[in-house]
Amino acid sequence: MDFAQFLQNLLNGLSIGSVYAIFALGYTLIFSILGIINFAHGAIFALGAYLTFTLAVGEFGINGILKNVDLFPGVEGGSPIGFPLALLLGSLLAGLLGVLIERFAFRPLRARGADPLLALVSSLGVALVLVNLIQLLVGAEIYSFPSTIYGSLPPAVRFDVGDTPIVIRTVQVIIFVVSLVILLLLGYVIGRTKIGKALRAVAENPATASLLGISVDRYILITFFLSGFLGGLAGTLVSTSFGISGPYFGVTYGLKGLAVIVLGGLGSIPGAVVGGLVIGLAEAFVPAQFSAYKEAVAFAILFVILLVRPQGLLGRAVIQKV
Amino acid sequence: MDFLQNYGFLLATLVQQALLGLSLYFPLLSGQLSLASPGFYALGGYVAAILLVNPAFAGLRDALGNWTFVLTWLVAGLICAVLGLLVGIPALRLRGIYLALATVAFVQILQYVALNLDVTGGAVGLFGIPQAFGFQDRWQYLLLFLPLLAVTLLFTRQLERSRTGRAFRAIRDDELAADAMGIPPTRYKVLAFVIGAVLAGIVGAMSAPFLNTWNARQGTFDASIAFLAYVLIGGSRNMWGPVLGGTLLAALPEVLRPLQDWRLVINGLVLVLASLYLPQGLVGLFTRRRAPSARPAKAEVAK
Repeated sequence: MDFAQFLQNLLNGLSIGSVYAIFALGYTLIFSILGIINFAHGAIFALGAYLTFTLAVGEFGINGILKNVDLFPGVEGGSPIGFPLALLLGSLLAGLLGVLIERFAFRPLRARGADPLLALVSSLGVALVLVNLIQLLVGAEIYSFPSTIYGSLPPAVRFDVGDTPIVIRTVQVIIFVVSLVILLLLGYVIGRTKIGKALRAVAENPATASLLGISVDRYILITFFLSGFLGGLAGTLVSTSFGISGPYFGVTYGLKGLAVIVLGGLGSIPGAVVGGLVIGLAEAFVPAQFSAYKEAVAFAILFVILLVRPQGLLGRAVIQKV
Repeated sequence: MDFLQNYGFLLATLVQQALLGLSLYFPLLSGQLSLASPGFYALGGYVAAILLVNPAFAGLRDALGNWTFVLTWLVAGLICAVLGLLVGIPALRLRGIYLALATVAFVQILQYVALNLDVTGGAVGLFGIPQAFGFQDRWQYLLLFLPLLAVTLLFTRQLERSRTGRAFRAIRDDELAADAMGIPPTRYKVLAFVIGAVLAGIVGAMSAPFLNTWNARQGTFDASIAFLAYVLIGGSRNMWGPVLGGTLLAALPEVLRPLQDWRLVINGLVLVLASLYLPQGLVGLFTRRRAPSARPAKAEVAK
């Protein structure tokens, strides 16, 4: 591999890895607070992309129950709001969806002190409902964001290393920048604000936090909102680059996200970022002749890391109850 | 007979799914949440399909005739046992959600390998698998699945009553205490895992002719979830739980057929509602709650 190829892979890997990171953060936030994995996170990822698509394009699509329904009747050119606003609104709606899921699928179980395994099944049920609802409403079509959503930006960044041109797609730059901004914002909120302090307290020990006057239920809702927001945002960012490949496209990312958080350390926020970048880079560096196995890379890493270092790269060692 | 003609495929499927639910029940007996069953199921099916259609084994098939089918079960069971050992020994050092994730990764890796090998037919898979023993109708597979279910249930009952079964239960309830009592947890956990793997592999070997075609869609994450739902909805503390859960949940899409496109949505809702309102599983409705086991199954989510 020459240097130009190396650089190209590096940039591709950082771009997709940063999306993995914000997606995986949604998982890890919930795990750090509740100790459960929300298997509906992949469905939220898909739904976030659909919501933003609908808001930005103004149509529900060409298939399913909602086909040809115009979201903004009477508006020329589909949608009155631009892509950035649609991205924000779509992700916020995905966050609200996270809140609803917590309210109806997790809280009743928590209130009863039920087996965490049941929360897993419950979230799987939610995922099944969401994915199939998407299929019913807008069909199993592939949706691509119109190429105009990035407005007047040049189509690509290009420069030469020696004789080889390096091409960075504008989409990749945007994905990377947006992810970076979100990561910094989240780091600020969790590390520096009162909300973040309370969240960390709840994650550390809900009972003690509650005694200290922190409303645990409210911070769990906030966590689910943040998680849904991050999941939906990641879904849109990925689909601006590759398109929305049907209702099930969240499933693979959902599983890869698990690899990311285990690699970084379950419940560790910096871990999710490191894990996302590592897996994104590892995938980007898969040699062309093995590209068929690219999708398996994340799972191979997951399996190996569990055997070698189950607490992940940045996780705390698992304390066994004695 | 008309009934069997019409519903035979469905009935055989229900028993088949009940068996797959049971394959997940064995690791759970020793308290291990493993989602590896679809991997072994897919592997067993591939072993059978390759033995039954690959030209390299034509001579063997001619020599053995119908015994080839029996051979496929044995080989599938054996290969799954070996792989179960190889994966189980390192993986079962993990607990709770970590083990679940490791087994999910295992299933995914197997799936991508199957998608990319020539011998497994790549993405297309293998097709034209001959019918077992020259069966004419799909319902005749009940003649394979039902005896296997009966044998498995008998085996499970005997196992649960044996010294080994008591060791499983001891590990499930408190691994450290069991260890302190001189029960080697790893050995028993691997044993439980391997039994589940062998069962899934044999069911796969029987299912390849039943489904006539075999491809990488047979062992997916969706299947992991489905099998886990069978056990948890049916009841994870009793061997009838996976059987009941597997049968009912596999039947659900058929029962909901009048609802057409909405049935999978309803299916998901059933999962949510069942985990909310049937924490002990369906079997929990029928069994009296015994005093010591009244506390809910302790899940080992490491935190």
